[in-house]
Amino acid sequence: MIPLILRRLAQLPLILGVIFTITLALAWAVPGNPLENPERRPPPEIAAAMKRQYNLDSFWRFYGSYLDSASGVKFVRESLDSQPKSVTNQGTRWVFDLGPSLRHRDRRVNEIIADSLPVSMTLGAAAIVFALIVGVGAGVLGAIRPNGVLDALTLTIALIGISLPSFVIGTVLLLVFAVWLAWLPVGEWGTLRSLILPAITLGLPPAAYIARLTRLGMIEQLSMDYIRTARAKGAPEHVVVLRHALKNAFLPVLSYLGPATAFAMTGSFVVERVFNVPGMGKHFVNGVQNKDLFLIIGVVLVFATLLILMNLLVDVLYRWVDPRIE
Amino acid sequence: MWKLLLPLLALLMLLGASVLSDRPRPRADFTFVNRADVTTLDFAQMSWMQDLRAARIVFEGLTRHNVLTQDFRVDPAVAERWDVSEDKRTYTFHLREGVKWSNGEPVTSEDFRFAWRRLLLPEYAADYTGFFLTIKGAREFLQWRTKALADLAPALSRATREEAALLSDALWKETLNRYDETVGVVAPDSRTLVVTLERPVPYFLDLMAFPVFYPVYPPLVSAHESLNARTGQMVIDPSWTKAPKLIGNGAFVLTDWRFQREMRFERNPHYWDQKNIHVDSISTPSIADENAAVLAFRTGAIDWVSDVTTGYLPEMIEQKLAFLGEHKDEVDKLRAEGWDEHEIARRLPADPRNRLHIAPAFGTYFWNFNCLPTLRDGRPNPLADPRVRRALSLAVDKQGLVDQVRRRLERPTGTLTPPGSIAGYEPPAGLKRDPVEARRLLAEAGYPGGKGFMTIEMLFNKDAGHDLVAQYLAKCWREELGVSCTFRVLELSIARDEIKNANYIMSRGSWFGDFGDPVTFLELNRTGDGNNDRKYANPAYDALLDAAAAETDVAKRFDILTRAETMVVEDECALLPLFHYNNFYLFDAHTVTGITSHPRTVQTPQIVEMLGDGKGAEVPLRMEQKKPRAAGTGGAP
Repeated sequence: MIPLILRRLAQLPLILGVIFTITLALAWAVPGNPLENPERRPPPEIAAAMKRQYNLDSFWRFYGSYLDSASGVKFVRESLDSQPKSVTNQGTRWVFDLGPSLRHRDRRVNEIIADSLPVSMTLGAAAIVFALIVGVGAGVLGAIRPNGVLDALTLTIALIGISLPSFVIGTVLLLVFAVWLAWLPVGEWGTLRSLILPAITLGLPPAAYIARLTRLGMIEQLSMDYIRTARAKGAPEHVVVLRHALKNAFLPVLSYLGPATAFAMTGSFVVERVFNVPGMGKHFVNGVQNKDLFLIIGVVLVFATLLILMNLLVDVLYRWVDPRIE
Repeated sequence: MWKLLLPLLALLMLLGASVLSDRPRPRADFTFVNRADVTTLDFAQMSWMQDLRAARIVFEGLTRHNVLTQDFRVDPAVAERWDVSEDKRTYTFHLREGVKWSNGEPVTSEDFRFAWRRLLLPEYAADYTGFFLTIKGAREFLQWRTKALADLAPALSRATREEAALLSDALWKETLNRYDETVGVVAPDSRTLVVTLERPVPYFLDLMAFPVFYPVYPPLVSAHESLNARTGQMVIDPSWTKAPKLIGNGAFVLTDWRFQREMRFERNPHYWDQKNIHVDSISTPSIADENAAVLAFRTGAIDWVSDVTTGYLPEMIEQKLAFLGEHKDEVDKLRAEGWDEHEIARRLPADPRNRLHIAPAFGTYFWNFNCLPTLRDGRPNPLADPRVRRALSLAVDKQGLVDQVRRRLERPTGTLTPPGSIAGYEPPAGLKRDPVEARRLLAEAGYPGGKGFMTIEMLFNKDAGHDLVAQYLAKCWREELGVSCTFRVLELSIARDEIKNANYIMSRGSWFGDFGDPVTFLELNRTGDGNNDRKYANPAYDALLDAAAAETDVAKRFDILTRAETMVVEDECALLPLFHYNNFYLFDAHTVTGITSHPRTVQTPQIVEMLGDGKGAEVPLRMEQKKPRAAGTGGAP
């Protein structure tokens, strides 16, 4: 187990380096000047100075300086440097400095992510909890009597959950529960109440997927010999279903859970927009639209790190739940 | 089995912890949704309307606008009075006694000099630096430092760290000296500021109310500035604009700025003009989705939505008009008395439909003609012929466009400057629709019935309904002139680049004015101006602008500017103005007062009076009456 973890962690910087290079190359190729207010232009000498200030006038200079500060090399170098620093007042010094935001000029990318990632993680966690409870519950219920009424019902709901876009679900939920019934708040963040609707909207597609995974797994497991044995020895039905069958049927759900959690926790542009959640998902879209290079690369790197760590966590859990897996 | 529940439990714990640590704040006295998230509170970085609006809450300039007067009067603010020299080139501002920063320190004329110097540093690269270049010596100072930094670069790259620090420092000291000696901003004592201009700027006092001319608190800013020895440039740590560090001199103090959540302002106890401030706290929650903002308003969480852009806005407008129709007699009477639409809404009964407000904006929507003799692909450009541009302009049914396509009650126009926005200035009437004359002109230019005329490629960005406008224009030209069009739809920033490089035949454009003078619109068409997307070049037009700049008599100057505007919108048709924008607000006029309906589009949330909250004078703030048409009907409240 430990060698696996160490090996994966050693790979992490390499993978991130490749991802950074590709992201920067793609983002650099996007036309348009990120420093420009689209409706108004500064004098040309100012425009040139603005580009120089952020190293936007040279790809390789940008590449080098970004790698230097984002990898932590700069931090280490400056910490070791006993001489007076050239730059004395830089507020909080970050080990991995992801640079300034070109659009939100009073913010560093680190600040933006530190502000929005916890929000997205909270929402993502709530969505996954919802998805697990609803998905596994519906899957098990459906599998007990395949092709029965309950099965047809859960399958239909699952189909709707997967196929309806979240801006439709979100807007309908908002209208019904927040505006008409006024049970839940609109455009607010920070209370348990304000978490409910976005979590349901974000959790519905994974819930539907989990329901289908669980149902298939359960149907397969329930037809296995060991289940017949368990029933033959007189085990009560709920023990057969929940203890014996679900334990094995859950493994595919567990492997799906890794990437699903990473996705849910890095935010969804649509859900964040509809419910006004101050999360990270919007930066993926807005960053590209504003050509905010530092922000784009920052959120992509954070997302990649989270994805890799979640997959590692799932692998570790897997071995722990089922020691037969090597 | 319990092993399976473990991930679930872990997630639940994470959830609980984060919910407990993240509580929303109590409601502020006045809560409004800004146009978009504020990007910066540093004047040296500012260019967006939402930033300027937030700056007005936390800072104050030498002058300020009284947004509730018909002529958008410039009132004394930090300066209590000023003298203007005979040649109109020297302004001596006398600072009010007792004006303080939010930490209790006095605001001095040095604070203005310090703030303005930052805007003239090339490394801060301010979008609005252009405004400062009319100050004597400012342009030379900017150019000098730009060149000095460039010249120093090779030496810095060779130098050791210590040497580089010394070199940068030496250049900085020289820069400070140069600013003191050559730029026409002088502080003879702590309460006097003398500004000398290159040439008379008739709207200079108006500019002094614009946020980029506001002062900053030097000890705060210099503590966050440092020289970068590698480049010789001054670097600013942006954390100074955050609460609780930020020190302002405005009516409110920034007490919290949570990214993408909320900005919160509390009354500044050191502000000099307390009697004109009627609420204790202001909050601007950040709501990016236009629909969510409207829903939040309906639940009562928001007092003012400052920019309604939902897709169903035309239906909301129809409902408002229906409501006004039900109270026609009352509305007509109030309008005749000269009351503005916000005050009329306040006097009409409460009704959900009555909460939408439509106010003219200081902006114009137009399409650019490419005026270059040849297109970027080398073809000769038929639009270089003013007759062709005029023909295309005359063929458009603008009333039809605003009624059928836009459906936002916008004012169709033939001019660039919105009428009624600048006191004393009368923009030309603009071209009226005349398809017969249009066909004649096109034939005269060599394309009878559109024969032999190229296909016009219309370039626009994909959002904001420009596609509908383009289709409408294309329909007018096809039907009236036999000219066909194709569309080229791009992402905003890409479209912007193409337009800047004049790589188009026609493209959509818009402009919002910054200050109360027609040149804020008219400079757009000056030869070589950075925002002259049309590449229109006409020495006669430039000469008129120069003549206006040299003219000190207000009326004569406006006459010259009207002639200049007539030239670009009627005779030469450098661009095709279609309509002036409207602002759409949601607020209940029975409680929220002090939001102006003046076409200058400057809103000052700091002066708002919430009726019924028991704070402030509890007297409704309203636009002063227009001169009543009938004598003696001036109504009492």
